[in-house]
Amino acid sequence: MGEAWVTGVGLVTALGTDRETTWRRLVAGESGIGPLSLFDTRAYRTSIAAEVDAASLPLPPLPPRLRRMSRASRFAVAATTEALSDAGLLGSEVVAGAALVLSGGAAGLFEAEGYARRRLLHGRRVRGLREFIEVPQDAPTDRVAEVFWVRGPRLTVTTACSSSTIAVGLAAEMVRDGEVAVALAGGSDALCRLTFAGFNSLRATDPEPCKPFDRRRHGLNIGEGAGVLVIEDSQHAAARHARPYAVIRGLGMTNDAFHMTQPEPSGAAWERTLRSALADAGVAVEAIDYINAHGTATEQNDAAECAAYQRVFGERLAAIPVSSVKGALGHCLCGAGGIEAALTVLAVARQVVPPTVGFAEADPACPIDAVPGVGRQVTVRHALSCSFAFGGNSAAIVIGAVP
Amino acid sequence: MRERWPIAAVGAVTPAGVGIPALVEALEDPHWQPRLGFDDDSSPPLPVARPPGFAAKHHIPPLVARRLDRAAGLLAVAAREALASLPAPLPWPGERVGVCAATWNAGTQALVEVLSAIFLAGPEEAPPAQFPSTVANAPASQLAILEKLGGPNLTFFEKQVGGLRVLSQAARLLSRRRAEAVLACGVDEAQWLNAESYDRLRVLRRPGATGMILAEGAATLVLAAEPAPPPLAWLAGWGSAGSPTPTHTYPTTVSALDAACRQALATAGVAPRDVDVYVSLANGLPALDELEIALVEGLFATPRPAAISITERMGDGAFASSLRALVATLLLAGQLRPRWSLPPHLASRSFHLPTARPATALVAGLAGGGSAVALLLAAP
Repeated sequence: MGEAWVTGVGLVTALGTDRETTWRRLVAGESGIGPLSLFDTRAYRTSIAAEVDAASLPLPPLPPRLRRMSRASRFAVAATTEALSDAGLLGSEVVAGAALVLSGGAAGLFEAEGYARRRLLHGRRVRGLREFIEVPQDAPTDRVAEVFWVRGPRLTVTTACSSSTIAVGLAAEMVRDGEVAVALAGGSDALCRLTFAGFNSLRATDPEPCKPFDRRRHGLNIGEGAGVLVIEDSQHAAARHARPYAVIRGLGMTNDAFHMTQPEPSGAAWERTLRSALADAGVAVEAIDYINAHGTATEQNDAAECAAYQRVFGERLAAIPVSSVKGALGHCLCGAGGIEAALTVLAVARQVVPPTVGFAEADPACPIDAVPGVGRQVTVRHALSCSFAFGGNSAAIVIGAVP
Repeated sequence: MRERWPIAAVGAVTPAGVGIPALVEALEDPHWQPRLGFDDDSSPPLPVARPPGFAAKHHIPPLVARRLDRAAGLLAVAAREALASLPAPLPWPGERVGVCAATWNAGTQALVEVLSAIFLAGPEEAPPAQFPSTVANAPASQLAILEKLGGPNLTFFEKQVGGLRVLSQAARLLSRRRAEAVLACGVDEAQWLNAESYDRLRVLRRPGATGMILAEGAATLVLAAEPAPPPLAWLAGWGSAGSPTPTHTYPTTVSALDAACRQALATAGVAPRDVDVYVSLANGLPALDELEIALVEGLFATPRPAAISITERMGDGAFASSLRALVATLLLAGQLRPRWSLPPHLASRSFHLPTARPATALVAGLAGGGSAVALLLAAP
């Protein structure tokens, strides 16, 4: 049975609409968080977000019916285009048999909110049809299948902020189990009024750029974007001389059965997730050299997350770089796990860990090396990419260097 | 050696009522029809089949029920029925029990409430209590909190095939030893703005015309590794394929559906001629009937297997696909003699209602957008 190699990476983020721009600016410690232009924010408590420059998306030539895709679908298609091109599979027959495992999320909700507003204000006579076609959360998955003619199994995972971490993990499992030779996996999410107002209503947002793990942290900033990986059976990839970035070695998933929005504070539940991922990967605790954290910058999440890391890594935690990219890219919700898995793959491949942008002052509740400032050269044998979601759904994947 | 997984327990809240007995009674009554529409007179008159008079507080403690939105309440009640038929306490620790849920629209009511507040009262009036229920995984997560189930908790959003997908994913969780038991569920809620949107796409049934009914309800099938009570049925095989298609339409060819069914049969080691019952995916839309004709004529020689069709009468959705698997389980367990007539496109092709307890059942599903999933279930 082969390994699950990552042979292609595609990214769309607020730092750039491609992989290399995102990586370069992230490692340099730049932030993509700024004033939100997508809709009028004057009536909201906060007015900043990590918004993608959608006008510069590198989309492939599309037939007319696909040119009006939702923002979330366009992100997914752009990231998939880059990932397939990177893997040398753009236009290949191999893609037809691939599995497609993406996250759900807001999908076409931003576009549909215009219709919903008119309908709620003015009654049944308002017009609108195209605006809500992509409301179903699997619409971006369907659009990617349609654009790239993917005919394999098609799954859409929706477990809130852990969705696309689970999507990547499940896709790697399908490859490892020999169900498919190639899988496209990750996630996409787009800004909309619902999530922007919703997190505001929970008082979970910071009106200033967020500061993960920092003692001054006041909450998150919403973001958007997409991260898509080409995950390929190692024998299949080797046969076509594909260059692997990294290996996805294992997946852990649990539920803390505690509360819809609050994390279990002792970290015990998330400890189970991390240990489950390590056990699935067959990787010892001592072999983890980097943790790409969930790191939302909310008071409770960051503390509970660090408690979980302490329970697993003990005193060694102080020597492991732990960074959150949400300080630069915002919290991309259902797309976050795919983006963070992609960045963790690059960190393993390039032996450089990204910084926690916004972090400056350590918090005793978060006793970690949060990688302040800029990216850092580190030897990374194995890394964890972690996501902890609404409803207690948590997931972690173990990503290893290519032997 | 092929893997197959026991279905140890089932529970449901359907347009026929709360519980498996109400469902069986309806399916054995040839004249049963759902009551369509919303209770609220101000909602548009739309073909939505809902559990009559359902309120979660009538079935679980009111102080618990009030924390649950409608979809979570439906799922909680269906899951409790399934869990109640298992040994108490459960033979597995809570941390080893997972949930795999499917939905087409859970969270819509909360979403409309939050959007109404934003647009009618202002963004700062968005209700914090409702916002967490806008995520589609809220019912599965609420179920985990309610029953203290700490295993993997997954929700899949795949329109009309999600309820079949969750059974294959539950089997995967058992196979990889991520859990010792998994509640594979489908849940959908009825919400007027959501239903009205589908009506605008002209896919819903209108008086005197064909079309789809949307179903509200929840179904739960418990898959378990040992130790478990004697199974009602076995999940013996599954298949999945896609046909690239615009997200709101059905494909024009049967290729993905055919491939999924053949994979399901192959993984179970069952030939098409050995299928005793075919569980139809017909939902009242002529385009789907045509695809189903192409499927069954290519798959089954004459004499045809028996067939049952529930979705065209009970309604469609992710819950409905889960319900099809549940009904197949009841048939294989010998607990059901369905008497609903078959739709004309099957009846005219020599399909007939089952007259004896079947040994195998093929359950097919196809979603708008072209994703297809099929399951092969076998009698114990």
